[in-house]
Amino acid sequence: MKIKSIHILLAIIIIIGGGILLASELDLYNTDRVKSPRKTAEGFYDIYDIRGSHTLEEIEKYYQLPASSAIDAFGLRPDTIPALFQLKDMKEIFKPVELEGEEYIVETDTVKVFTSLYLKIPYVSDETFYLPEKTVNYLIENDKLIGEEKEYWQGHTFKMEYLDSKYLAASEFSRIVVEEAEGFKVTGKTTVKELLDGGITEEKFEEVTGFKVPEDKSVLVRDFLIDKGLEFGEVKDKFAE
Amino acid sequence: MAKKQKKDLIRLAVQIFFLALIILISVNHFRSEQGLAPLLIGAPSLHAVCPFGGVVTIYTYLAEGAFIQKIHQSAFTLMWLVLGLTLLFGPVFCGWVCPFGTVQEFIGKIGRKIFKKRYNNFIPSVIDKPLRYLRYVILALVVVNTAISGKLLFSNFDPYYALFNIWSSEVTRLSLLVLGLTLIGSLFVERPWCKYLCPLGALLGIFNFFRIVKLKRNENICINCKVCDRVCPMNINISTSKVISDHQCISCLLCTDEIACPVSNSLNFSVLERKNPKEDLKKDSEDKIEESVSGGVK
Repeated sequence: MKIKSIHILLAIIIIIGGGILLASELDLYNTDRVKSPRKTAEGFYDIYDIRGSHTLEEIEKYYQLPASSAIDAFGLRPDTIPALFQLKDMKEIFKPVELEGEEYIVETDTVKVFTSLYLKIPYVSDETFYLPEKTVNYLIENDKLIGEEKEYWQGHTFKMEYLDSKYLAASEFSRIVVEEAEGFKVTGKTTVKELLDGGITEEKFEEVTGFKVPEDKSVLVRDFLIDKGLEFGEVKDKFAE
Repeated sequence: MAKKQKKDLIRLAVQIFFLALIILISVNHFRSEQGLAPLLIGAPSLHAVCPFGGVVTIYTYLAEGAFIQKIHQSAFTLMWLVLGLTLLFGPVFCGWVCPFGTVQEFIGKIGRKIFKKRYNNFIPSVIDKPLRYLRYVILALVVVNTAISGKLLFSNFDPYYALFNIWSSEVTRLSLLVLGLTLIGSLFVERPWCKYLCPLGALLGIFNFFRIVKLKRNENICINCKVCDRVCPMNINISTSKVISDHQCISCLLCTDEIACPVSNSLNFSVLERKNPKEDLKKDSEDKIEESVSGGVK
């Protein structure tokens, strides 16, 4: 039997097209990647399977590593949205650094090491032997590093630089909040003391935020609200009312 | 009977369809990353629709029951479908479906116009022949290293991924370099990536030795015009073989009597043993002679 182009076309339609349809029916053609990481023999999610496409929210969900901790430890903008921020996005934020003659990029593997140290779950990296100074300091401040481990990482740090020097300054929280509130402007740099001095009473503060005025009044209003899980952009409007 | 060379419009239509499909998928993936709704179809990753993803993850799948990072179940399924198609007809995927092969072929048309007969004949045979096996080395390196590392290392220099994902930060400089060299090379050599470097092409090429539908040349009626050799994008010496099982054949059908070969039934894909018309005629005349000599008594 002689095979012509039309037969090949039919074969492509039947085998590839039909095969995809059949596989879809049998649930064997899934173009969405399975996002949940592999589990270890002990039943925990495997740190080795943290992926660049995982968001901070997913890391929190699977590994119980709070997104706010990752944001603080890596110096990300406080208004970073954990549900949207993927680990691979870090390479768009931080400058590559030269470490022992090789270029190192703060990215997924850095987060793997951080997660391992934070959760005290073993992970042996073959590329991350240094961590950003800010990250190591965060781990020490939160008692996640002790003994020899602490000594090692204290001696293996590097200064992390942003690709865009205005990265933090360009943050939405500091741009949008330049509004009048009782006759003065509230910005991302406004402290609680300045807010009270500007005419907001402690009762008003409590009514708007749902929290008492902190003892340390030098804290930024922005930081206080973020710490309490509130949206700065929304709450500042209420101060102005 | 000699006939005029035809155009392979069916193959061209299939190539354009798959090229457009991959471009649409790529655009949709970009749109979804920007928070925009996909157009017409979904927005899968390019990794989800490349059967080579299935090849590189096969060890991890057999050993751990899981796919390597970035590889989707769909790629694994596609791999089996493409292998099935290849077992029947040879590397139809390369000649008809692969969008990167199509892009190289389209650029090659410009090269052919510029260089005329010199096109696709720049590399001396002594260099060209051993280079054709380089893709098997790459296939082995990619499969072994992926199995060891559990990472999709090939995407670091994959020009297909670079071309259709050029907007993405995941595209490496190395893959852009390979892409650039391949596209420039396509002006001089037809399908340089397919010939020398493509690991998927290497795997599918092996099937040419035992594909069910074979490309056969009928020596008895072939007029040795060598048109088949000239039109073959992979520079295979078709005119000297009876059954073409070269590992580089991409089952494009350009050489067959449907398109280039001027003699009907001289060169085509066939699945069952074909009767040779000349031999039949010869046999008939011999029988008649025998009959007349013996007076019809057997």
